[in-house]
Amino acid sequence: MPSSSLIKAGILSVLLALLAALSWEFYLRHQGIKIAYDDNYPLWADKRRLVYEPADKAMVFIGSSRIKYDLDIDYFEDHTGLHVVQLAVEGNSPRPALENLADDPNFKGKLVVDVTEQLFFSLSPFAEDWVRPRIKYYQNITPTQKASFEIDRLLESMFVFLDDENFSLNAMLVEAHYPQRPGVFPDITFPLDFSRTTFQRQAKMTPRFLTDTSLTNRVMNNWRFLMVGNPEKPVRGDTLQGILDKVKSQVDNIRSRGGDVLFVRTPCSNFVRDFEVKAFPRKEYWDRLLAYTGCKGIYYEDYPAMAQFECPEASHLSPAQATIFTKNLIQILNDEKGWIPKKL
Amino acid sequence: MLFNSYTFLVFFIVVLILHYLPFSWKTKKINLLLASYIFYAAWNPPFILLLWLSTLVDYFVGKALYAQENVHKKKMLLVISLIGNLGMLCFFKYGTFLLENFTHLVNLLGADYHPAKPNIILPAGISFYTFTTLCYTIDMYKKESKPVQSLLDFSLFVTFFPHLVAGPIVRPPQLVPQFASPRQANAQQMTQGLFLLTLGLFMKVFLADGMLSGAANTAFGAADPLKTIDAWTGVLAFSGQIFCDFAGYSTCAIGIAMCLGFVLPNNFLFPYAAVGFTDFWRRWHITLSSWLRDYLYIPLGGNRNGKFRTYINLMLTMLIGGLWHGANWTFVVWGGLHGFYLWVEKAYRDSRKRTPSPVLATTGKDYIRSSMGPSFTKPVEGYFPPETNHPKNFYNLILALLTFFLVNVTWVFFRAPDFKSAWRMLRSMFVRVSNGIPVLSYLDIAKVAIIIPLLVAAHWLMRNTTILKTAGKTPWWLLGIAWSIMIILIMLSQNASSSFIYFQF
Repeated sequence: MPSSSLIKAGILSVLLALLAALSWEFYLRHQGIKIAYDDNYPLWADKRRLVYEPADKAMVFIGSSRIKYDLDIDYFEDHTGLHVVQLAVEGNSPRPALENLADDPNFKGKLVVDVTEQLFFSLSPFAEDWVRPRIKYYQNITPTQKASFEIDRLLESMFVFLDDENFSLNAMLVEAHYPQRPGVFPDITFPLDFSRTTFQRQAKMTPRFLTDTSLTNRVMNNWRFLMVGNPEKPVRGDTLQGILDKVKSQVDNIRSRGGDVLFVRTPCSNFVRDFEVKAFPRKEYWDRLLAYTGCKGIYYEDYPAMAQFECPEASHLSPAQATIFTKNLIQILNDEKGWIPKKL
Repeated sequence: MLFNSYTFLVFFIVVLILHYLPFSWKTKKINLLLASYIFYAAWNPPFILLLWLSTLVDYFVGKALYAQENVHKKKMLLVISLIGNLGMLCFFKYGTFLLENFTHLVNLLGADYHPAKPNIILPAGISFYTFTTLCYTIDMYKKESKPVQSLLDFSLFVTFFPHLVAGPIVRPPQLVPQFASPRQANAQQMTQGLFLLTLGLFMKVFLADGMLSGAANTAFGAADPLKTIDAWTGVLAFSGQIFCDFAGYSTCAIGIAMCLGFVLPNNFLFPYAAVGFTDFWRRWHITLSSWLRDYLYIPLGGNRNGKFRTYINLMLTMLIGGLWHGANWTFVVWGGLHGFYLWVEKAYRDSRKRTPSPVLATTGKDYIRSSMGPSFTKPVEGYFPPETNHPKNFYNLILALLTFFLVNVTWVFFRAPDFKSAWRMLRSMFVRVSNGIPVLSYLDIAKVAIIIPLLVAAHWLMRNTTILKTAGKTPWWLLGIAWSIMIILIMLSQNASSSFIYFQF
């Protein structure tokens, strides 16, 4: 091929690729979709490195998905002056993150642990399969990965289509609702509007999600399958005691360095609440956890302002509810638990 | 630094700008050397010390070897180099493996020995740059080429970032002469380089990581026997993944070097269209197979000491080649299977012709040079068609498919973490397992069912030509559209930069 033909082909390819990318971007924006960040390993690692701020400057949160929705980070930071480090990982137990922080001699801060009993007390490898690789990634992060994260963060702040969870080819293929193969664990997908992640790792439902019952029903069906239909039996007896022993040892470790740990039970409603109350009676799990570890705790149902939340899809709070929840959380942390350094 | 990362994109743009600014050639070479060190240190900065050590030892030992006339002193110098290079490789790559096997052995003999598990981190690319420096000192010992006069040129030869961590494994005569005079890509070379870089990224990011790795990981990660379709889909997916991952890296490396005005040897020539295993090893990881041929098979005696020794040497070469890939007995079995296939092929050819096959019976280096890879049959100048005596007919197509089938069996040992998993997978593939479970979705099966036949067909159609020649014959607008589709699919893949499989080797 003559040199000019090859160069023409190269120029054409760049123009076509640019045209396709920009058209895709304009189409998504026209659909009302806003910028969101991939909640991947690098973003988690970026937050993990921030846990060393002094206890009077930051508060670290670990847990499952609920605290990612329920904690309004901007509100919390504006009203407490504390920096929030959000390390919760959806669908996973916070115990691996607790273990990681307990084993880190440099962590001496205040740690809030969100408890969803079905995940917190789970021994299933699936309850750790997203958080453990994130910890490993953080521990082995290379200079080039750090640099790539900074460039990626800049690009993600500019382009809607850079959204691995929703607009990667694989995500779109899975979303195409092809037939499920009998006997194979089905692809559980969530609508885009259910979860838009901010750079601080707060998850937010969109206004469209809150008004479209087909979307909320779809998520509720997922909970019916994943939570209520989960064949894993709640741990009891020696197994439960073994988990409590480990958690206590980790909490003691953090406390021995001057840090502290507080547990929080975040809201749920409807059939999810019915299931959780029945499968994980408060006395046997929550109360025992607090008593055994000697930690302070906040159970949403103990506070009238938080007890009445009706979650849009039975398990997580809407952004507006999150602000109310956070306002109450701050008040309890300040007035009752003495966890806010500057009295409000 | 990974080619499929944003950091590399920025790094490469900066390197290109510096390379095309009006600096002296020496300054440009220094720039390339510093860039290569940054490229390597971006993973794990302390390991750059090993690279420097290896470079310095081999540069000075190489010079001394070439000048030394005393046989004993010469041997001593060679031993120093071998101990330095292979010792480093043994410690970092095989230290844990050797200790585990030693522990197992002494415990079998009745001792109660349980040492602490060493925590050794494998430096990226150590297998590749060790082989690069090793061949230099051996060449110096044999006086097969002249020593590199400048430490700068030698350092750049060892460290040149496109080939540093996963090959192609270069020999001094292939790269060092290119540092002698200023090199810049012209517009055509630059465009060809960018085309190869796009193609390599497409193979890695879209095909290997995006489309195939999921099915392979799920099938090989299953703890139970699988349904036959799941087992075969998983193995075929890995077959495509390993090719697209590794050939993708090599294609990127060649493209990047081309953009800077350098030529690296080709490493893959449509291996899934190979007719037989001799042909396969002419097309798969060519620079490694030719390295093993010249620095292991021939020194072992090659085919010069009779049929029996030829078979033994061939098997030893393949077993060690297997072990080079990883510190696990499964890799040795993988190499052994390939050795066995080569035995069968040689025996079959010899029996048909009633005279020794031209592939394995010619004595001396000439036979080897023609049998184990095309890269040394003539100087490698980028992509060129392999010399082949297998015309594209139906009979050879059937043989190629049979070869592909047998290659897939070997991949089971390459991919499985242990023998238990490998046997479970083989049983699922070849025996109707009553309790086999399905693990792959229809989407996973569909991806593999579409991509693998297309991949094999593309290899067959292009087996006697090259990518760039094919691109050259394509109308510019059609090439432009195909190129843009690759870019769009790379963008749509959006995979977080995942490492290349061969980095672990």
